[in-house]
Amino acid sequence: MTEASPPVQPAASLDYHVAHVAERLAAGPLGELGVRLEPRGDSVLLTGTVPSAQCRDEILSLVREELAGHPVHCDLLIAGTSSPDRGEDLT
Amino acid sequence: MIRVAAVGDIHMGPESQGTLRPSFETLPDRADVLLLAGDLTRHGTPEEAAVVAREIKDLGVPVVAVLGNHDHHDERPEEVTAILREAGAHVLEGEAVVVPAGEARIGVAGTKGFGGGFVGRCAGEFGEPIMKEFVRYSRRCADGLHTALKELAEADCDARIALTHFSPVADTLAGEPPEIHPFLGSYLLAEAIDTGGADLAVHGHAHAGTEHGMTSGGVRVRNVAQPVIGQAFHVYHLPGGGGGGGGGGERSA
Repeated sequence: MTEASPPVQPAASLDYHVAHVAERLAAGPLGELGVRLEPRGDSVLLTGTVPSAQCRDEILSLVREELAGHPVHCDLLIAGTSSPDRGEDLT
Repeated sequence: MIRVAAVGDIHMGPESQGTLRPSFETLPDRADVLLLAGDLTRHGTPEEAAVVAREIKDLGVPVVAVLGNHDHHDERPEEVTAILREAGAHVLEGEAVVVPAGEARIGVAGTKGFGGGFVGRCAGEFGEPIMKEFVRYSRRCADGLHTALKELAEADCDARIALTHFSPVADTLAGEPPEIHPFLGSYLLAEAIDTGGADLAVHGHAHAGTEHGMTSGGVRVRNVAQPVIGQAFHVYHLPGGGGGGGGGGERSA
């Protein structure tokens, strides 16, 4: 007689979790659609350009809270605000 | 020479007040007009619109804008528009305006535009009501742009510019996942530009895209989303008289 194995619980997919966090970033108070979240193994990579350091910090904080237990790598850039040296000639 | 400065997707909120103003204050020496290609706010609230208004008020060059999808998020686009107009900006939706550049006249036709995709890979007006409305809304935006460009054709302009938030071509989306291209633009905008006539098309929306593109009809397209250009604005030089004039006196086409 063999002992019955306990039912296998499906592992929560990081893919779906990341997708829901992306939805929350867009539809929640941050209203952020310009950030890409990509699973990399057990961790998540954040890329994109945001308007301010405060915005970047808010996004990173929310993602780390939502994805606790998964390393979050942040490659978010802050948009440049300098003026250009020259124009592009379309003549 | 006509000098056109442009930027989109500045996504301003209270924390970003004053970040663009120092560069914008250099505009009278660099450009004849500033175009704002939508997504000027983060959520489309009146408070955020007021931040943009303070950033663009009394710059010394005419400011012409369209709204973006972010500017609609709080469902108060009329209030956002009114606040920007109070600051002196021309906010266009299916409309045109002519602004002076010295002795020259710059015509700008604008719409937010919408998605739907590009030839051979686009949504159709078929099936569920919400799907049909998606495509019809995109078509209404493009039709508004076409009508405005045709008005400018009768307005004796030295240069005509199509200003949108969504992209008219896939060229300037390079870098974005191809799967989301139908949410970033529509060929209907390019068709409106090519049949209505323009010397330049300027858009935003695609943060991960690229700056340079062209319509099938040969109109140059520039994606000026701030994350793409990496600066407060870019400047494009078009043939035509004037330059350095600026000032008031602009009027609707």
